Amino acid sequence: MRRLVAPAAAAIAAALLVTFPIWSSAWESSRYATTILQSMLVVAILALSLDLLVGSAGMPSLGHAAYFGAGAYAAAIAGQRLGSDDLLLGLGAAVLISALLALAIGAVAVRATGIFFLMLTLAFAQMVFAIAFQAADITGGSNGFSGVRRPTFVGLDFNDATALFHLVAVAFLLVLALIWRIRSSTYGRALVGLRENERRMRALGYDTTRLKLSAFVLAGAIAGIGGALQAYSIRFVSTNDVGVARSVEAFVSVLIGGVSTLLGPVFGAVVVVFIERVLDSYIPYADTVLGVVFIVFVLAARQGIVGLARVTYARVRA
Amino acid sequence: MDENKGAVRRGYRLTRRQFLAASSAAAAIAACGPAATPAPSGAATGTATASPGPALKIGQLLPFTKVYAELGNSMKRATDLYVKQKGGKLANRPVTLIYEDEANDPVVGAQKTGKFIDQDRVDVMMGIVATPIAYAVRNAIDAAKLIFIETNAGGNALTRTTTNCTPSCKSKYIFRTSFSSYQISYPIGEYFATKKGVKEVFTFVADYGFGNESAADFTTGFTKGGGKITGSLKAPLGSADFLPYVTTLKGQQTKDIYSFFSGTDAINYIKAWTQLGMPAAGYKMNGAGFLTEQDVLKEVKEQANGAVTSLFWAVTLDNAENKAFVDAYQKEYSLLPDVFAVQAWDGMQAIDLALQATKGDTTNKDAFIAALENVKFKSPRGDFEFDKETHNPIQDMYIREVKVQGGQAVNTIVDKVARVIDPGK
Amino acid sequence: MTLETAVVQALNGISFGALLFILAAGLSLIFGMMDVVNLAHGGFYMLGAYVTLAVVQRTGQFWLALLLAPLLIGALGLLIEPLLLRRLRGRHLDQVLLTIGMSLVIADLVGLTFGREIRSIPFPTGLDHSITIMGGDYPAYRLFVIAFGVALAVVLALVHRRTRLGALIRAGVDDAPMLAALGVDIDRLFAVTFAVGAALAGLAGVIAAPVFGIYPGMDVDYLIYSLVVVVVGGLGTLSGSIAGAALIGPVDTFGRVLFPQFALALIFAIMALVLLIRPTGLLGRIRIAR
Repeated sequence: MRRLVAPAAAAIAAALLVTFPIWSSAWESSRYATTILQSMLVVAILALSLDLLVGSAGMPSLGHAAYFGAGAYAAAIAGQRLGSDDLLLGLGAAVLISALLALAIGAVAVRATGIFFLMLTLAFAQMVFAIAFQAADITGGSNGFSGVRRPTFVGLDFNDATALFHLVAVAFLLVLALIWRIRSSTYGRALVGLRENERRMRALGYDTTRLKLSAFVLAGAIAGIGGALQAYSIRFVSTNDVGVARSVEAFVSVLIGGVSTLLGPVFGAVVVVFIERVLDSYIPYADTVLGVVFIVFVLAARQGIVGLARVTYARVRA
Repeated sequence: MDENKGAVRRGYRLTRRQFLAASSAAAAIAACGPAATPAPSGAATGTATASPGPALKIGQLLPFTKVYAELGNSMKRATDLYVKQKGGKLANRPVTLIYEDEANDPVVGAQKTGKFIDQDRVDVMMGIVATPIAYAVRNAIDAAKLIFIETNAGGNALTRTTTNCTPSCKSKYIFRTSFSSYQISYPIGEYFATKKGVKEVFTFVADYGFGNESAADFTTGFTKGGGKITGSLKAPLGSADFLPYVTTLKGQQTKDIYSFFSGTDAINYIKAWTQLGMPAAGYKMNGAGFLTEQDVLKEVKEQANGAVTSLFWAVTLDNAENKAFVDAYQKEYSLLPDVFAVQAWDGMQAIDLALQATKGDTTNKDAFIAALENVKFKSPRGDFEFDKETHNPIQDMYIREVKVQGGQAVNTIVDKVARVIDPGK
Repeated sequence: MTLETAVVQALNGISFGALLFILAAGLSLIFGMMDVVNLAHGGFYMLGAYVTLAVVQRTGQFWLALLLAPLLIGALGLLIEPLLLRRLRGRHLDQVLLTIGMSLVIADLVGLTFGREIRSIPFPTGLDHSITIMGGDYPAYRLFVIAFGVALAVVLALVHRRTRLGALIRAGVDDAPMLAALGVDIDRLFAVTFAVGAALAGLAGVIAAPVFGIYPGMDVDYLIYSLVVVVVGGLGTLSGSIAGAALIGPVDTFGRVLFPQFALALIFAIMALVLLIRPTGLLGRIRIAR
């Protein structure tokens, strides 16, 4: 019986999430709430992908927006240049381009560790930013890429706001499931091994450089999906989407949610987006609140939001 | 001068309190939520003696954080002042102002625009400082048939017909009370070649969409008038050190430099310009008006002496409306207004007059658009009207020169290019 | 590029490098000693600039600010280390989150207190003139910055090599736990180190304010600059930050005007290149933090 509770709860939660715009429609704030939820899910996808690096493999990347933005541009440009609105084409382009970019950068960056890895990923991301800024003919440069076409898929037209939300929510759930699968696989455990003790992993016969590179590419590809979904959502891509602020947003989402926990990055993204983009409508010092939340969590909750929940749960049960 | 600095801080505090007031109003709205769109007003609200009509909700998307924050504050001050002067009502409809921070990020701008459309259900939207954000929300505004008054961003494409609407294009729902890059760049180019007799110019602009547009439009105007561009240089936005650039300018022979910079960049540029003794070496600083706008001028003061720029307004502009505006603004906030305040002020004026024409009705969009198109008024900048074709303003461009008068550096009007119309169709 | 222009550009590059050194010295010290990447460094720098603005507005005394700002910000550092940072020793990711949080709070409170206008302060009296170099004007203040940078490097080097504190720092950089085992009060040493690092950031804010300006977002801009300098030079050593600044300053200056289309990515390209050739920076030893 107990073994069935968790999957059933997960299924119900997933169904509630996907159908949010429908069951909430009587509420007059439903549409705006849907918009906010959608951007939370996009940032959550980015954070989940980053946690593969930061949490699982112990690779603190501060340039993850590069792959997010590459995916956004790729989906936007593919739709425009190929004249097709096919979803698989757009997402395929996003995954392909961001994975290739991650492969190129990762091939160099994964040789470094710690702060050097952090700074190298930042440096390459800033170069990607510079390219996006300067290649105005392709990306729109500082003016941004406008009029991104929304996709269609086997008769589904995602020009409809509700349909688009379904798409983002389903994509989010698939990414979540994928990360869950990875974490419980041998591959996932090898990544954790990297973080815990890279030398031992090498002694055990693992090609650690290849292992890191594969994680980097995988994380880049997933971030690219997030980028594509954002491009579809707001129908615009700007250089902000490859900028350092976006990278930091993802990074703090991972840290505040709880590194290397499945749902941590998701909660982190929810908290960060809520304070930065929702709460700021009502108070002029939202950044201070965000900063204080970081400080309090770091001092009070060793394992982020998820860690705090675990400790509380354990106490309640005891 | 010191007194003025204190005043700036006082003015800021005031703004913050108002921000809180406006925010709590917004919070209240969010809490209750409009059960339906405001009831159509129609004829019932026509006269001043009638009981007040339904609330007029104006959503203002402005930067209140990041590098453009003070532009947002300035525009907010002007807006609040206008509403206050009208006793809190436009065309007998009590005004509710909802301010949102665009945080200089198109993603945030798009989300907040969604809030105005879906949550607040505003009657009119205004604001937006950065061009990319205006481009980002253009389609959403057009699709929602929301009347939007752009009060700063000057990207040419926002009021033009463009191929595939890239990077943006005009919309019947979008009006602009600021300017297009063309308007602040092309006329001064032509003026330099034809009237000022300048033969050669070197351009040095901020390397982003707007700076490049400004350089291109200046170049077109200048070369059409017979002038020659001898070279160009670009600096990224937010460049830390301007000495290397000014050293390069000094290392070439063309004495007249045309620049587009604003804010911190303009300040650092002008300071580096003075430090390297450019005026003594015979170099002349020229540019689009933001180079020496009030926010820059109050920091660099006489170091900008002699700079010639073009803009549609100057604090010294001698007309009754400007005098009244500057006086009222100074009285309210104890500081001088800047061009950003004027743009927001005129946005409010345009809405006010259009509302009077429709007797307060904003539900009939076509009638409201027609009313806006026909709005003509005396602005602090001079005669103001919209180009019916593009909804960009038709306005005079003033050639201004920074001079030190009574110990204060001010933009003085030296000439005027009348009725500049953006060539967009 | 004529000889005159080249000489002036070289001066520009050196003085920019000197500014970068002043900016990076504190970050490097804290990193080397405490193994903490202090991402609030930009926030302390910003505070230094705004203290300068406040002091100059009220008294007109730049030199007073030069004294006051490092003291105030150093005192703040002295509070922060035991209150917040001490509990996170060795927890690198938590330190990152904490210092990002601190910098958010600092930047926002500065904005709410001082307003978010862009500001600028004049060069201090005595240094507000130009000097003739190669037949053209050159700002005296920029020469002062070079001199100040060199003097600071000398002073720090002397402290480093000749004093007891310097010996403790050198020992601490090599092996802090060993130092603790030898009976040195590590807590006190770390608090002082953090305070000095913060004070140096504040000092950089004072020196840079008349050159770079004062505006919202300055904290992040210059945090990135100082991180690049520290990483390029080699982490946590004084000679490393000198080398990093000496490379980045001139290369960035010449690169910007020779290849303006690459200006945006220039310092990052240099950093990537250096790290590829020398994975621990120009003068770095093997010392890896996570």
